[in-house]
Amino acid sequence: MAIEIAVPKLGLTMEEAVLVAWKAAPGARVRQEEIVLVLETDKVTFEMPSPGEGLLHPLVAAGSRIAVGEVVGYLAVDEAELARLAAEKPAAAVRLEAAAAARPTAAAATPPAPPSGRIKASPAARAIARAHGLELAGIAGSGPGGRIVRADVLRALEQPRPAPTAPAPAAAAGGPVLTALEEIPITGVRRAIFRNMHASLSTQAQITLHTEAAAEALLRLRQKRKEAGAPVSYNALFVQAIARALRRHPRINASVEGETIRVWREIHVGVAMDFGKGLLVPKVRHADAKTLEEIEAELQRLAEAGRAGRLTLDELSLGTFTLTNLGAWGIDRFTPIVNPPESAILGVGRIEEKPVAVAGEVRIEARTTLSLTFDHRIIDGAAGAAFLQTVCRFVEEPALML
Amino acid sequence: MSDRVLTASAALAEALIEEMTRDERIFILGEDLTAHAGIFGQFKGIPERFPGRILDTPISETCIAGCGVGAALTGMRPIVDFHFSDFVTCGMDELCNQAAKIRYMFGGQVKLPLVVWCPDGAGLRAAAQHSQSLEAWFVHTPGLKVVVPSEPADVKGLMKASIRDDNPVMFFQHKRLFRREGPVPEDPEFLIPLGRAAVKREGRDVTLFTYGSGYFLCQEAAAELARGGIEAEIVDLRTLKPLDFETVAASLRKTFRAVVVHEACLTGGFGAELVARIQAELFDFLDAPVLRVAAKDVPIPFSPPLEDFVLPRAADVVAAARSVCNR
Repeated sequence: MAIEIAVPKLGLTMEEAVLVAWKAAPGARVRQEEIVLVLETDKVTFEMPSPGEGLLHPLVAAGSRIAVGEVVGYLAVDEAELARLAAEKPAAAVRLEAAAAARPTAAAATPPAPPSGRIKASPAARAIARAHGLELAGIAGSGPGGRIVRADVLRALEQPRPAPTAPAPAAAAGGPVLTALEEIPITGVRRAIFRNMHASLSTQAQITLHTEAAAEALLRLRQKRKEAGAPVSYNALFVQAIARALRRHPRINASVEGETIRVWREIHVGVAMDFGKGLLVPKVRHADAKTLEEIEAELQRLAEAGRAGRLTLDELSLGTFTLTNLGAWGIDRFTPIVNPPESAILGVGRIEEKPVAVAGEVRIEARTTLSLTFDHRIIDGAAGAAFLQTVCRFVEEPALML
Repeated sequence: MSDRVLTASAALAEALIEEMTRDERIFILGEDLTAHAGIFGQFKGIPERFPGRILDTPISETCIAGCGVGAALTGMRPIVDFHFSDFVTCGMDELCNQAAKIRYMFGGQVKLPLVVWCPDGAGLRAAAQHSQSLEAWFVHTPGLKVVVPSEPADVKGLMKASIRDDNPVMFFQHKRLFRREGPVPEDPEFLIPLGRAAVKREGRDVTLFTYGSGYFLCQEAAAELARGGIEAEIVDLRTLKPLDFETVAASLRKTFRAVVVHEACLTGGFGAELVARIQAELFDFLDAPVLRVAAKDVPIPFSPPLEDFVLPRAADVVAAARSVCNR
């Protein structure tokens, strides 16, 4: 019996994905657990291990949108079964990822041809686009199956309307030209970041407060834990400080929904992580109720899953606050951008020894910078400052958190 | 005049008492009415107050419906109690062939001020022959008006308007809602005109069109949806025929998405009619397909777990609303 290759459900809310690439050629032998295909959702890219061993018979072409549970291919036990499968269900034309990855851009200067075929759009989206003389072709659909819905058209209407595209500068004119070395489609994780960052700055009134914290206690605590054989990361300490501070300043742990500010009961702190495939922000759930050890263990588990490309949608959604730490890159201070629908984010810079004036004397002390960006529409300056002060105190004296 | 909290049963009795006091031509006809004030106690106080104007009949729905039609034709304003709406099948010819058509066939020479009171709905473990929601049959019969109230105030206001209407009105009141309480205006002239829906909850993301027991499912669902950031508008249709399509349209023009919710089974239900009109008349205002939440297409089971499984739940409404909101 041939083994079915079905799309796994990677998160509670996941309904469909894009089959980005097959990792084996039709007819090739695939071993159990070997990566057989790559899936992409709005939030994650997932390398799917083969459910068994057999000869690959793909049904769905790379680039297709597929529903959770859909059978996208089979693994045949032998050549005879493969032939039988091929006769019953024709294989999709498969282009291996290696061939597709580097997209040569010889014709980069040529504008892309308008998409052919019918554009899927809701009647309401069509009516509004028609009323505003807007072409649906250029709008990305966020509805089921990529359907353009009303919200997509409204968003497009808010964008500055490009002047009718001038023909690409003709090389014949002899002037300088730009030719793209690489064209990277904005899809998947990149598209989510792309939209989120724009939405963040275009909807919120963001302000950043900076403060400096003594990091001596942090260093000592790390050292002690290390000696005790239970090392903890700086991020675990910062997550704990944030979570405990949020409990004292619940209004920071909020989102705007329509005309309402929702102050969340749960405290889920996301930690920005970069595994080279675009920024991901897995969440430490109920961080306020977790011990430092539990937070550390959770961060390690999430980082490992992230490196393996196995973070699920559930681990990436529904945060209430974000931590972003650029200390490892030697950054002193920066102005982070809030990760909507959250309303605040804490940026942490590097820990560095600095001269500090204490009681008339100059002393050398390890210090770090904390930068809090928040949505000034719903959080006043004093409230933001008070929260940052609490975080700062917890960082300087972790014992206060207990 | 202030609102008191009454049960739906008490609201019905109050409407009847007020109207019977106002107009001597009004009387009630049905099985087992005087001894226990109706099998659900819904006519409490009426047998004592109006002796001779609430009449027990033989066990024959054909006879009861026929008497009602005849009395209405001769100038009375009868209210016919069908005991269980399921029994309308035995009076179908009187209701659908006579009552519905007489005014038309006589060229408007007669009026037919008849109210047919039909306790309906499931959830009482009363099995397949005592649990149906049959309103769609009568919506499908030109000449009849169809009213399905949800809250006690609606029961009172709509019953009084039905009694004062000169046409046959099918009045479906859910059995499980008799004991449900709500504020009811004391005003004896409190009428809810037939053909007027009510926006009972304002929302911007999706409209839940409903009536009867479905209204309470929608309320529960809307609260749950709000927790997830979806603000649902609830339109209680109240009268299915004539239908207040203006209110339907105004709501949809605001939310662009809709779910129709009723307890009657899905296929051929009133939801199908409403969805058909919405897509025909409001096509350009639809941002997603209109979904329906209804009972499954089977006779209502006697087994409690199976009955619960067959009936629509608030969770089904939540799922449908989330689906049309793509969230």
